[in-house]
This record gives sequence, C-alpha cells and structure tokens, in this order.
Amino acid sequence: LAPANATPSAEQIAPDQQAGVAEAIRAAAASTTPIYPVGGATGLDYGLPVTRPGLRLSLAKLNRLVDYPHRDLTITVEAGMTAADLARHLAANRQRLPVEVPQADRATLGGAVAVNASGPRRYGCGTLRDCLLGISAVDGRGTVFSAGGRVVKNAAGYDLCKLLIGSCGTLGVITQLTLMVRPMPETSALLAGDVADLAATERCLAGLAGSKLLPVAIEVLAGPAWNDDPLLAPRRKTAAGRLVVALEGTRTEVEWMIGQLAAQWSREGIAAPDVVRDQAAAPHWQRLTEFAVAPGHSNGAPTLTVKICVQPSATLNTIRELFWLQPGVSLQSHAGNGVIWARLPLTQPREWRALLDGRLRGPVAAVGGSLTVVSYPAGLDLTARDVWGPPGGAAPLMRIVKQQFDPQGLLNPGRFFLENS
Amino acid sequence: MPPVQLDRLIRELRARLGSENVLSDRSELVVYECDGFTIEKNEPDLVVFPRSTRQVAEVVKLCRQHHAAVIARGAGTSLAGGCLPLGGGVVVMLTRMRAILEVNLRDRYALVEPGVPNIQLARALAGSGFHFAPDPSSQVSCTIGGNVATNAGGPHTLKYGVTGNHVLGLEVVLADGSILQLGPVERPGELDLIGVLVGSEGTLAIVTKAWVRLTPNPHDFRTLRAMFPTVDDASSAISEIIGAGIVPAAMELMDQGIVAAVEEAFHFGFPADAGAVVVIEVDGPAVGLAEQEQRIVEFCNRHHAREVLRAASAEERTLLWKCRKLAVGAVGRLSPSYCIQDGVVPRTRLPHILRRIGQIAAEHQVRIVNVAHAGDGNVHPILLFDERDRDQVQRVLAAGRELLEECIACGGSVTAEHGVGVEKIAFMSQLFAAADLEAMRRVRWAFDPEGRLNPGKLIPAHDAPTAERTSPVRRAMA
Repeated sequence: LAPANATPSAEQIAPDQQAGVAEAIRAAAASTTPIYPVGGATGLDYGLPVTRPGLRLSLAKLNRLVDYPHRDLTITVEAGMTAADLARHLAANRQRLPVEVPQADRATLGGAVAVNASGPRRYGCGTLRDCLLGISAVDGRGTVFSAGGRVVKNAAGYDLCKLLIGSCGTLGVITQLTLMVRPMPETSALLAGDVADLAATERCLAGLAGSKLLPVAIEVLAGPAWNDDPLLAPRRKTAAGRLVVALEGTRTEVEWMIGQLAAQWSREGIAAPDVVRDQAAAPHWQRLTEFAVAPGHSNGAPTLTVKICVQPSATLNTIRELFWLQPGVSLQSHAGNGVIWARLPLTQPREWRALLDGRLRGPVAAVGGSLTVVSYPAGLDLTARDVWGPPGGAAPLMRIVKQQFDPQGLLNPGRFFLENS
Repeated sequence: MPPVQLDRLIRELRARLGSENVLSDRSELVVYECDGFTIEKNEPDLVVFPRSTRQVAEVVKLCRQHHAAVIARGAGTSLAGGCLPLGGGVVVMLTRMRAILEVNLRDRYALVEPGVPNIQLARALAGSGFHFAPDPSSQVSCTIGGNVATNAGGPHTLKYGVTGNHVLGLEVVLADGSILQLGPVERPGELDLIGVLVGSEGTLAIVTKAWVRLTPNPHDFRTLRAMFPTVDDASSAISEIIGAGIVPAAMELMDQGIVAAVEEAFHFGFPADAGAVVVIEVDGPAVGLAEQEQRIVEFCNRHHAREVLRAASAEERTLLWKCRKLAVGAVGRLSPSYCIQDGVVPRTRLPHILRRIGQIAAEHQVRIVNVAHAGDGNVHPILLFDERDRDQVQRVLAAGRELLEECIACGGSVTAEHGVGVEKIAFMSQLFAAADLEAMRRVRWAFDPEGRLNPGKLIPAHDAPTAERTSPVRRAMA
C-alpha cells in the first residue's frame, strides 16, 4: 500500500544552494505552482494527504556542514543534512543534539524542525525549540529570510525559529539551522520495572516530578508492540505496563541515582528494576525513538496512530481511557511531559470516526489536552478537523501569519491545518 | 494615525476602570516618562491601572476606537527603553495584576498574573522544592510579564535557559481587544505563537496570564569564588571550562573595577587588587559535585587563578550571590552616571571581546567596568561618565556603539537579555538583512496591523532615520 500522503507531484528538483531554492520558489510562485518541500521523506505521513499537483522540492543536496565551532557548543548546518550525519559530526567532539529524530539515517534536520520531532529526552533536555538558535528559510514569494543568530542567548528581534518549528513547511522552506548542542554525558542508564497498577505508577510519577535525581526521560509503555523487546516489555503478564527511566551524568552520579530510584520504586512494589547501561541500551533507545513512526498498518491490521498531549498528571487516566476504548492498543508515553503516542488497531474500517470524535477527543479536550492523528491507513477519508482537532482560538491569527509568509498559499498546500480549518 | 480624542478617552476609561485607576495629570504622568533607560523621555498621554484581563481588554478596545497607542509596563526596569511612551499614548500598568493564581507542583507550573514580581514567585515557592529558573539581576523588582516581554535571562540561564524555555502558556489581549489563550498544553496542529510572543517586547499583544514552568531545586550545589590576576586569565579559564564540555549552573565574571566598587560599598572581603573575580556554581546530585568542582579548579589554576574558594555555608553562598547581584548598584559609587550595555558573543570569543572592550575604553578615554554572564558569552560592560560633561557623553556614545559593533563582528548580537526597545533599534539593520526585518514586520502586521502596540520599538520602520543620541545616560541610583 502506498503511504496515504505521497506527494502527487510530477516534477522534482534538488537545488544544492539556498539561492537555488529561492529561485525555484520564485519560479513556482510566478506560475502559482504548489511547492512540496521534502527532506528525507520520512514525515510525509504526517498531516493530510496533498492533492494539488506541484513541484517536489528536495533539500537532499543542501546538506553541508556550514560551521562547527565545537567549543562554543553550537553548530550551523544546511537543512538537508540528516540527523544521523549531524550526530556523527557532533560525536567526533563528544557532543550531541539531545533530541531524538526517528529514522535518523534518512530524516533531515529541516524536516525534523518542520514536524517538531521529539522523543523521550524531552523531559530532561527539552525539544527543538530549546535548541534552535538561528534559522534561514525561503518564504512563499521566494525571499530568503533569517532569524536568531549563532549565539546561545539573543533577544534581538522576534524569535521566528519558534514560528517555523512544527509549521510543516507552510511558512517557509527551511534551508539552514544553527543549533545549541550539549556535551555527551559520561554514562547513561535505562531502568525499567513492571508496574502492577496505575495508582502505583502515578505515585512513582509524582515522585519523579519533584525528584532531584534528574531523569532525562520518564516513559510508561504498554501493549503488544513492546512484546519482543527484552527490556521494554513487562516481565509479568499481569503487569499494567512498564515504567522506564533514563538517567545520564557522570558514573558517580548515575550509580547514585540508580540506587536512589531503585529504593523509591521498591517502596511502590517494583522489585529490582532491570538496568541497562551505555551501548547495551542502544537497541532499546532505538525502539523508544522509532515508536512514533508507526505505519498505517501493523501486523496486517489497519492502525490509527495518535499523539495525545495532556498535563502530566492526566497521563495515566488518559492511558486507562485508551485501554478501555481499545484493549489492543500499544502506547508509548513520555509520562513526565504528558505526551502519549498510541497505536490503535482498527477492527472495523468505520471505527475510527467514532473513536476519534466522541470517545477519544472528548475526554482529552475535557482535561485541556490535544489529540493529533499522526498516521492512518490509506483509504480513510480524514479531514483537517479529524487530523488536527477543532481549530482553537488562535486559528484566525495563524491564518493571517500564513498569508503574510505565503500569500498565494503555495507552500505545502493541504497538509497542515492552516488553510483547511 | 488620526489624532487621539483624549478627553473622550479619559472619560470612557474612568467609567470602566474608576477614576482612581486613570492618571491624566502631568505631575503624575511624569513618573512614566521613562523606564530604566533614561536617555530618552516622553510623557504618556494617560496611565491606566487595570485589575483584570477583562479590564485590559476594555482598555485596548477603547484605545483602538480612539486610535491611541498602548504601551504595556510592569516594574519599568527595562534598560533598553522598552516601556518608553515614544509618541505618547496610554501606558497600561500591569502592576496591580499581581496574583499567583495557581501553583501546581505535580504538573510543575505556576499560573501567574503579569505584575507578579519575579521575587514574589520565588518567595511563594520557598520550601516547595521548586523554583522559577530565570533570575535576572533586577529580580527584586522586575515582573514576570516583563520577563516574558524581554525573554529575560540571569546568571542561572547558563544551565537552565532563558524565560522562553520556561513559558508553557500565555493568556494575551490582542490588538483588537480580544482575549486569546495559548497553551499550556501543546497542540501540534498549531504554530508556536507562545515562542513568538516571548521576547516581543509588548509589540504583539499584552500578556495577562502566564503559565511558567517550575524547576525542581538541585539536590545540592557548590558555589566557588575564583580570583584571577587579569580579566584575560579569567575569561580564558571560563572559555576552557565550557569548551571542555562542563556546563556549570552559573559562571559570572566581575572585573577589577566592579570588584573594587562592590568592595568599597559592601566590604565582602575581596582583595581590591584582584584583576577579576568569577563566581561559579555547580549543582546536581551531591555525590557528583566534588568531581565537577575539581575539574573547574584545575582549569582555573591552569589560568593562573590566585585562589579558588568554596562558600562554606549557606550564608556565604548568599553573600557571594548578593555581591554579584548588587554589583551594578555599587557602580553608583564610581560615577555620577553610567550606561549598562548588553552584548553577546560566541563563548570562545569572550577573552577577545573583553580585551577589545579594554582597548575601546582606552581609545575613547572612557572608564568601563565589566560584569558578565560569562558562560553564555554575555557581557555587560558598564560605561561610567559624568553627564554634565558633553564631550565625555559623546565619547561614551561612541565607545558603546563600537563595542556593540564588535559583538556583531564576532558573530554575536547587540542584546542577549535586555531587549531592543529603543536603545538598540538602530543596530537592527546591522544585525539583520532587510528581508529578515521584513519577515519580522509581517509578523507584527499579522498581530497588530495598525501598529498601536508599543510603537517604535524592536523593529526599525522602513524609512526610519537613525536616531542620533545626545546622551547615553543611566543616572546612578542614589
């Protein structure tokens, strides 16, 4: 099956200079041709399928390292560089960008910014908005603009980096990024334990929220998708799920934190958590990073994948709700942040609408949360409202912003909520 | 814009807010003619004191009907003229909206009104095990609303980030008087307007509530005071520490001039001949602190530190921080007038910029003392002068301009945390290309098509003449 959101474009170009991107957009603007920016093509499932034919603008050749003054802990790269390439450059100086990007071998940084990729470490290290210092992009007229800078603190002008993060390429085609990077920790460890019930889990989570142990990730995992991972799957069949915490720091710090955490957990009935350190944890990190990229089908069953955001304290109730609605659900929750990624198998083709509209969005909205459909099987006819939820109070203002940057509506038309709601 | 019909506006504002909450008498307005940036002054037409979001919305709507500019103001501690009522207009004082509406430790946020002073939130959180991380030096008076408007920093932003990293949600009144809530929970289908509003200096909307992130207090910390024979040694040590991948909680530099002033004022016991003092704080699990400290001490010693002392008690730590936070105030002892600059360079350029500042001071025969959030590459040179001496004033202006241009030349910026306001507006076209400024104007237009929110700030107008400054003054506080 083809991905639901394949770009319906006949033409493709891949400029190797920013000026080429600008030129292509100017030409497209002159003939009102839609422009579909593509990095590693890993995020094309995100949002609505596009329908208007247009120009596929690949950023793959705009992938150079521009400047890496590693002792400043900043790096400037072209937007088509893959997340894996960035990681390699940084690793040479024992540094890293502490934001997980799925399918890093193909996913580009421009793409990661456009969809606001994030992963488990957002609890301790933040998301791209906390790392992006400067940006260059080409707007819908073909004009190059930049914002921010290359220093770690900067109060000059509006922070347009923030505006472009998560804008799905609808305000500008991102061409260059300056990122604040961090030293690699000396050591890291994943601790995992079965949780018997959600009440005990909530006590653990509440303890972690005020903890001085500095976990970098707090994850609650449940469902069959984890079954084949020896660390991340529950040990006991009766367990409600698996609580996983990542700790990073110096050896002394991490060993002390492991001891403290194990003691806290044992009081909540989690006996002797499994501990996996450093490189041995890599395959599990891989799983934790890639879960968000769920195909529209898993094990042959059509699957709806949603991202739910609520206050952290509402996480477990939301998980309970998900299991009640669909006992076959698999989920990964960045529980410290109130973010839940859920893969819901669809047993009946029409089921999704009832799931989304009434039974899922209602309770999430009631606690002030949001629900976004991240991917869904081809053939389902979802609207912008289905994917992004009902427009909030900011929608009119956002549409004006969009018009300012892309007056003809040529950048990634149809995919994001902006012109659809 | 058509002229403001002031009488009618006053009547309507009084009817809505009560006459005691509307100032129109010149003797009262004069208080609001400037903020912490005193070079330029202009009286507002009116000052109003709303007590609720609804009242702010009513004020904004009335100002819109009467074509009046709206300038939001908190404690007025801006050092860049962020609240200067340039062409008159209505100053909206948010200081009576100072309730802490909710503290939620489980979800790690506080919901506050914009007029809550930063220190009030800090005090309210004492004993809770949490704190609000931004800690600008004006902490005792500046408000959370002002922190949001300028994307304020402070010493501990080195490890914990600036205000923008700690704002989860905002309630704002838009230019048309409508009320909009953004956040506090993420909505992937929306643009990050919160991120754009933080640091927008009151030009896009007026913040009426903020959900700010609370950070757990560190398990333990150590505060060190390192003394160096020269600023060059100190800045090189700092640069090396960061370059080696050590990110302390804070790393603050004070040069000899400022140390001497602090010593004279408060008698902390610093040798007056120390070339530079660096306050370094490391925090985290207690078991790891000795190691962090040891590595830092090694770098300091390698750069000829004369001594590195550790605060032995909570009192000593408080004293060290007090000394750093009072440093700027102590400058009043050195000179009748002073101007605090705010420049930032890539961290490895810190030794260079401090050397250049020394040269610029000598070339222009201006006395400059320095404090710096050194780990971030953020320098605060303080230019000392006597504003009665016109020649000196001109030299201070020239020196200030040159050192900011040097920050730009180093790949830095002309403000790290004070904001652009009116003070730095002429530098914006040096820092950004025309298309960059145009993109900012588009955002501004989207929020405020009539340009009535804090006009004349942040982005230079298309055809803006470069304002010629006649005085760089910040009058020394008594």
